[in-house]
Amino acid sequence: MSKEEDTKATRRTTRSSSAAVLRDSGEIKKKCDPHIPSFNDLVFGEDTISKEDLLSNFPGRHTQILELLNLLGPLNSPMLPLFVYGGTSTGKTSVILQIFRHLNRPFVYSSCRTCYSLRTLFESILNQLLLHQKDADNGYLSAKRCEKTSDFVNFLREALVKVVKTLQGNPGKIGTKKLTGQGHGHMIYLIVDNLELVRDWDKSSSILPFLFNLHEVLNMNEVGFLFISNTSPDTYYSNMGYLDPIPVYFSEYTEDDLRKIFIRNQTNQEMYSSFLSVVLGPFYRITRHVNELSIAFSSLYKIYCEASDDLNDVPNESSKRARFSRFQPHISPALNQIFKISSPPSEVNTLKEAKRKAGSKKFGGCDSSEHLDFHMSTSAKYLLLSAFLASRNPATLDASLFDSTGGSSSRKRKKRPSEKSIEQKEISEQELLMKGPGTFPLERLLAIFQCITSVAEISLEDDQGNVAMDSQNEDSELMSDVLLQLSSLCNANFVVKGGSCPLEGSTRYRSTVSEDMALKVARSIKFPLSKYMYRR
Amino acid sequence: MAAEDLSEARAALSLLRSRLCNSSFYSKPPSNSSDSNYSKLKFIISSSVTEACNNSILLLGPRGSGKMAVLELVLQDLLLEYPDMITVIRLSGLLHCDDNGAFKEIARQLCSEYQLLFSKMASFDDNSKFMIAMLRECGLAHKTIVFVLDEFDLFAQGKQRLLYSLLDAMQSVSSQAIVIGISCRLDADQLLEKRVRSRFSHRKLLFLPLCKEDVERLLEDILSLPIDSDLPHDYIIKFNAKLHNMLANERFKKIINTYLDSDSTVKQFVRYLFCAISKMDLKSGLLTVENFEHALSDIQRQPKQEYIKADCSILELYILVCMKRLEVKEQNSYNFNSVMKEYKSIHDSFRTSDYYSRSVCLRAFEHLLQRELICFADNRGHTQSIEFRPAKLLITSHELHHGLKAYRSCPVILQKLMN
Repeated sequence: MSKEEDTKATRRTTRSSSAAVLRDSGEIKKKCDPHIPSFNDLVFGEDTISKEDLLSNFPGRHTQILELLNLLGPLNSPMLPLFVYGGTSTGKTSVILQIFRHLNRPFVYSSCRTCYSLRTLFESILNQLLLHQKDADNGYLSAKRCEKTSDFVNFLREALVKVVKTLQGNPGKIGTKKLTGQGHGHMIYLIVDNLELVRDWDKSSSILPFLFNLHEVLNMNEVGFLFISNTSPDTYYSNMGYLDPIPVYFSEYTEDDLRKIFIRNQTNQEMYSSFLSVVLGPFYRITRHVNELSIAFSSLYKIYCEASDDLNDVPNESSKRARFSRFQPHISPALNQIFKISSPPSEVNTLKEAKRKAGSKKFGGCDSSEHLDFHMSTSAKYLLLSAFLASRNPATLDASLFDSTGGSSSRKRKKRPSEKSIEQKEISEQELLMKGPGTFPLERLLAIFQCITSVAEISLEDDQGNVAMDSQNEDSELMSDVLLQLSSLCNANFVVKGGSCPLEGSTRYRSTVSEDMALKVARSIKFPLSKYMYRR
Repeated sequence: MAAEDLSEARAALSLLRSRLCNSSFYSKPPSNSSDSNYSKLKFIISSSVTEACNNSILLLGPRGSGKMAVLELVLQDLLLEYPDMITVIRLSGLLHCDDNGAFKEIARQLCSEYQLLFSKMASFDDNSKFMIAMLRECGLAHKTIVFVLDEFDLFAQGKQRLLYSLLDAMQSVSSQAIVIGISCRLDADQLLEKRVRSRFSHRKLLFLPLCKEDVERLLEDILSLPIDSDLPHDYIIKFNAKLHNMLANERFKKIINTYLDSDSTVKQFVRYLFCAISKMDLKSGLLTVENFEHALSDIQRQPKQEYIKADCSILELYILVCMKRLEVKEQNSYNFNSVMKEYKSIHDSFRTSDYYSRSVCLRAFEHLLQRELICFADNRGHTQSIEFRPAKLLITSHELHHGLKAYRSCPVILQKLMN
């Protein structure tokens, strides 16, 4: 996201700048003299920015910034806990961090995403307060080991008292580089990000009231609390109750805000604004997340620009229209796509991604090409198909479907559709929609696999009249390492390992590929899949 | 920026904010009243201190009604009144609800109070014996130990060993202790086991929400600036005059009453005032009715409706409407696939322009899940992919209907489909 680029190399690794920090400061720090922690570390660590810069850095967030500044209040004035919430990519974290950069006040930021458990969260807060850095000398241990809430409160109070005393003691000495007149103050702010994740932790029913009541428990006026969450305050149910913090709402950006955001940091503003006027409207109907829109726009903009040789070219009315007519056909397919492989499918990286995505997202439906976008060995394809069949077909019909001769002669004739059977069909269709693919044990998968590979051999012989030698080879190839293939299919998320069956005790599998996808795979190896699918 | 912020306005704001964050400021009772909880509590505690007897009290009242604040005030006063005679041990059910940790914490606080060496390694048994010994020693020296148990109901979970041994130790003549339980549950004493309950003296103090006179007094006390401060005198006069003007204003009274209708405990009210005064315009340095009006809408939010009104894209609205239609059809359970079927049938019959591919819809569905406008109907089946897990709406059709009405440029077809 362009607007977050200016938080390049902060001491704190925010979500957006963690990569930059790794590159910029991390390596240098190792070689140069070790960073000596001081109380300066508790402020943002860079030059402050003015209020005007702060507001102009975040178009569409004026009301929120002003509200937060109001609630944080003037220097050294105590505050009640705040609860900042809003959807993803509405700029909650970056706005708050930049506000603290502007105010130049000490704060402690910890995110419940990186601090994945109560203990790591506690220790991260304490480490920052005690200016403790994990390194080789202390064996990458935390300053304090604390798991219990009661220990944490004692340690926290101790650390806070120390920090506040230092801040009060020498207001002049710390912060040599900052502006005069805008001191640190002796307030310290604790920011807890991604609070919604805490709800999935163990014992969350007691952790959440604890976190919300921490302000009361500590009863220190020099400490401010800010909670950042993805979800609204009413999703934090608790039968214990707590005093609600003051809610601050970050709404999604409006269309105008989005236009302002995307036009920032563009080299050719004219061109981009004409591009936005074409694409923003339709995309805005689908999603309002900046991160999703920016991905979609970056590739579309390339197409939009293709016609002109010079990127700095200023478009006039007629060229705009011409460009629009050329560009228009690209819009609607792009709308129906959630991710796109931009480079040719020979690169390994995109392959892997495609494979992974295929399992969970199953590709955009508009993808009508006959070819598969990824590589897979023949035996893996057969295995995939057999998993698909095992998930789709009822186990009782296996015998009739997979006759050893492979012919469809023994299949049951379809009944004439009567009133009742149509009704039944509808019910079963509904059931299929609701239940999803069935599970199957490994043995069944292997049996089907054996059946369909043997069928493939026969068809191969039929088609080409080959000698038996070849088919023998084929056989051994196809049967090699089936289990290994299965585990790689599992890793690629094509097949999911389900819970074990309560009666048999063995693991059961489930195939997640869609029918379109399975048909495509079948086509690529010329396998008559539809013949084996049980139609209800 | 035309006018600079007034420095005295900033100072006044700081003063007001520190008042609001300081619970002992606003929970002080009016000096003349004799039957306030403050004086009752003070009487009970001071008489047990002077008469050297054991006692136990429960302070009950809704969350945020100032139980702890009043107790703190009383303890502060008594510590001044009887120096070296009172030791306060504070425990919170949130932190020390397991017996082991609670005894350890008691031992720790006792040790730090009497400059004794605290051993982290001491066992449960050691700590409880230590506590009983300390109780006896203090009783012999005529010192009272006050145990403050915040979130008292949480201590009543499990075997209640802490409560039992505390109250049991108080049965002996030599000890001299007071147990004060604070709880939001009015039935807190019913949670106690028989053996604990029989040792408990059933004194209860009830904390009630604010009444009208209290609110008026609080507004006056908190918001007016003191005459004898270092702020410029004419500013104080101006500020207080404006404040009195406002307090008499009918519109202002109505706003305050609207707030109190939903929440009338002290803490909640203070939180609202905090929100309002933080909106004070620093250029004029005066509080206005608008500040309070805006704070009301800021604090009484309806997140679900706001989500629909401002956050959802049109595709997400379509999915919500489809789900609502499925619920009206009384399908007992449905999942993403059935939503898609409904979506397709809507498209087939009305030829809407908003028809997107399945994967795009799935992503919109995921957005709704993330926002908790919808959720999965059961927690089982994590291995199932999203499309097949049964889902349900978390908003009422009323909310959805209102949200759609308030939505800017909402497609007409959606409103029609709702009916």
